[in-house]
Amino acid sequence: MTETEERTGPPETLIEPIDMSKLDPKFRKEIHSMPNAEELSACFACTTCTAACPIANQWNYKPHQLIRMILLGMREEVLSSKEIWECLTCFQCQERCPQKVKVTDIFFDCKNLAAEEGIIPPNVLALGKSLIEKGQLYEVLNDWEREDLDLEAEVPGLNTDTIKEILRGTRTGRLVGGEK
Amino acid sequence: MSDPVLVIGAGVAGMTAAVELADNGVQVVLVDRKSTIGGNALNLYKAFPTDDCFYCFEGNRWRPGIRKCFYRSAMIDQPNIELMTNTIIQDISGTPSKFTVKLVIGPQYVDPKKCIMCGLCVEVSEAFALESPQCQPQAVTYDPSKLDEGAKKAEQDCPTKAISLDANPSEKTITVSDIVLATGYHEMQPVAVDEYGYGVLQNVITQLELARILDPNGPLGGRLVRPSDGREAKRIMMIQCVGSRDENYYPFCSKICCVFALKHANIIANERADGRVSVVYMDIRTYDRHERYYREAREAGVEFVRGRISRVVSTEDDTLEITVYDSLLDKYLRFSIDLLVLSSALEPPEGLDEIIKTLGLKTASGYVGPADAASEDEVVVGEHVYACGGVLGPAEIPESVNQARAVVSKILQGRK
Repeated sequence: MTETEERTGPPETLIEPIDMSKLDPKFRKEIHSMPNAEELSACFACTTCTAACPIANQWNYKPHQLIRMILLGMREEVLSSKEIWECLTCFQCQERCPQKVKVTDIFFDCKNLAAEEGIIPPNVLALGKSLIEKGQLYEVLNDWEREDLDLEAEVPGLNTDTIKEILRGTRTGRLVGGEK
Repeated sequence: MSDPVLVIGAGVAGMTAAVELADNGVQVVLVDRKSTIGGNALNLYKAFPTDDCFYCFEGNRWRPGIRKCFYRSAMIDQPNIELMTNTIIQDISGTPSKFTVKLVIGPQYVDPKKCIMCGLCVEVSEAFALESPQCQPQAVTYDPSKLDEGAKKAEQDCPTKAISLDANPSEKTITVSDIVLATGYHEMQPVAVDEYGYGVLQNVITQLELARILDPNGPLGGRLVRPSDGREAKRIMMIQCVGSRDENYYPFCSKICCVFALKHANIIANERADGRVSVVYMDIRTYDRHERYYREAREAGVEFVRGRISRVVSTEDDTLEITVYDSLLDKYLRFSIDLLVLSSALEPPEGLDEIIKTLGLKTASGYVGPADAASEDEVVVGEHVYACGGVLGPAEIPESVNQARAVVSKILQGRK
């Protein structure tokens, strides 16, 4: 019987712990410096935001957990999460927070940071692209709908050129690669 | 003339009761088993809620002539107070308003009336120590278990002949009218809570030990260092409710440890360069107005992790690898930490149960309970027996002072 097998000991937990030294302690400051995030560190994790959220039951990371993750420095996980993009921006969490943490606005900050790093879900990106290209989000494609209402097929006087021009110069234009 | 009042314990509560009784013309015998008065508060560094250093606690600056350190200097100067340090209660008998108390006074190795705190003995012998420059009585202390050659030399060379190494204990029996219990609390030494490694790993300490490290008057001059190697400690973790709210140790909430811990976390985060603090907690109970400590801590960047420590492992260079379960995230986190500080339960002091038994008092979780739980006189614990401060359960300083004054008022009313 050989006892030479190297034993590394039993695992501490079945799931490997998150190594705090690999996280980004500056992330908290980074978010803190963004618009409406001054009260970020006031969070004491009461979970009021999660209780208020109409969609969090669909989420893997609940709103209070996302705030926790920001405070701990879990930059990658937060910025690549689907949750920040699925936020309905109903502002219920922000309205109810007992410590005046602007939760919804902080998720906006996260989305802006994520977008700057090119982490945008494809459906959101597609929306942005269509906005830049067509100057509007909802295009009237079925002209029979208008005909049924006794309207002429084309929307009279609709011109999106100016708005397209303006949008190209915005962050949205830049992020979706709206080169001329 | 009436018999004196006996005050047991010369901490915040006992000193307040003694000095206010004395100021009202009542004779007081103030007894403490230690050789320096001040109790736990002496080791707190900054005391909440005012963040004053206790040495300069100015709660009673109205007292003419003495502003700072007033209680402790009054203990010596007020003629109505007979201060007996190094003294324990051997026995209490008699009847209420006529108690007979047998005191055992430890050997007086250093006569505080003669000691001029020149420091000669401290230099030549390990057995002598100066607790602090502001200690009361103003004298060095002697530990007979550390007797060495230098001690004998110190005895001979002492310029005021204040040292007597072959001093003997003595006994004294007094008659007192009332007894005030002010024996305070004791911080549990959490050796039994073995998952944290206290008593095994040098870099695992308690909050009171941390207060000593942070105190500029303390042995390390206020440098935040690891006990194992004296290297600067930058990453600190605190764990709350060690032995408190735990049916295996003490079922009650020790009440002041949350604020205690936050006070230290704020000092480290705001006053020590690169100090990073994480607090692992089940609930943060900053009762009353102390909530501000919690908010300040969060603003200062103190990291709060709700959960418990899974395990603590010391690496070769004495760094602690700590795994924490974060119950809010439902994830396990691994930290590398220099110093783990346990917010240990505050327990009744040794010997209190005997006093409770002798006097036939009621108990509340090991502490002294009020005689009539339904009444609002929580300081009245028996016939002519009163209690104030930590002896009624963990208490902050203003609370102890208030209770002491309530006791004084009760005694004065009884004597009218």
